[in-house]
Amino acid sequence: MVGKTTYIAAAFVLAFAAAIFPGSTTANAAPAELNYKFYCAQCHGTDGKGDGPNATKSQPVSPRNHTSAKEMAKLTDQDLINVVKGGGAATSKSTMMPPFGKTLTDDEVVALKDYLRKLCNCKGN
Amino acid sequence: MKGVSFLRLAAVSVFAAGVAFASTSHAGVAEGKKIFDSKNCGACHQMAGPAKEKTIEDQLAKKGPELWYSGSKFQKDFLKGWLKDPKPIRPMEYYSLTKKNTGNHAKLDAKSADEVAEYLMSLTSDAVKKAGITPKGGPKGRIIFEKKQGCYGCHEVTKGGNTVGGLTGPTMVGAADRLQPDWIYAYLVNPKVFKPVKDMPVYEGILTDDEIKTLAEYVSSLK
Repeated sequence: MVGKTTYIAAAFVLAFAAAIFPGSTTANAAPAELNYKFYCAQCHGTDGKGDGPNATKSQPVSPRNHTSAKEMAKLTDQDLINVVKGGGAATSKSTMMPPFGKTLTDDEVVALKDYLRKLCNCKGN
Repeated sequence: MKGVSFLRLAAVSVFAAGVAFASTSHAGVAEGKKIFDSKNCGACHQMAGPAKEKTIEDQLAKKGPELWYSGSKFQKDFLKGWLKDPKPIRPMEYYSLTKKNTGNHAKLDAKSADEVAEYLMSLTSDAVKKAGITPKGGPKGRIIFEKKQGCYGCHEVTKGGNTVGGLTGPTMVGAADRLQPDWIYAYLVNPKVFKPVKDMPVYEGILTDDEIKTLAEYVSSLK
């Protein structure tokens, strides 16, 4: 249950942060880190290294390593927003990356883009 | 004359009541509920709708899948077999990213399994309507499942005799024997009724209704 414990710990930390800094999160929107660990980590791993449980050998592509500045710098901020909302197809990448445009709010997607930039510690070219 | 009409009406009413009683009380439902309650299955499975989860935290607090619409979702024979010999449906523990599902779910004897299956089949949702979805394999559905959307990124399937795909979603191996085709369609077009917060993307509004129907037909054909 390590995974669940991590989630729940993250949820508490984020809820605490939200209580201290009201306005730092949008109404009805989950914080980006919690969304990342719930949705993205399935394939990209909890730390973003591309090693989530869905990154099995039988997959046609490997999930992107979000901590790789070299790879992530190739994508603009708008690319990141497009790929989260529209899936891989939105940036001519693999459709194994699914679209979250009907799952997350626009604000949540933008917050995820910022979180991805933190993970790679890079800017888009 | 009035007396005869009254008698006839009374006879019809008694008959109708009998039919209604028979149709709502299949043998085993009450017995199954008793077993279910005695084993405290409700500690892990939500048994009364509607869905209550509003946040990711709510979803993660759940220990197992909700069963309040299980009679609309599952096939009875599958439930009977599974309750006797439970094999993991999800390769990972429920919503865990680190723990493999070891399949340590409680097992029931044959009679109890049949009765609990009857009870679970009595729990239905009005949100699952007859949509006329019938199992249909073939390239049209496979292209949506494998190419247009990477469904097997999270759901295992059988391909070329091998089990391939991701591990976080329920396996689609055996979906043909496990799930009701109309439920698959209802879940894809209206997922929030069943799971307001889930780690699978919402496809309603991304795939067309025709594509969702084709996808539901395809998934319901997967052996």
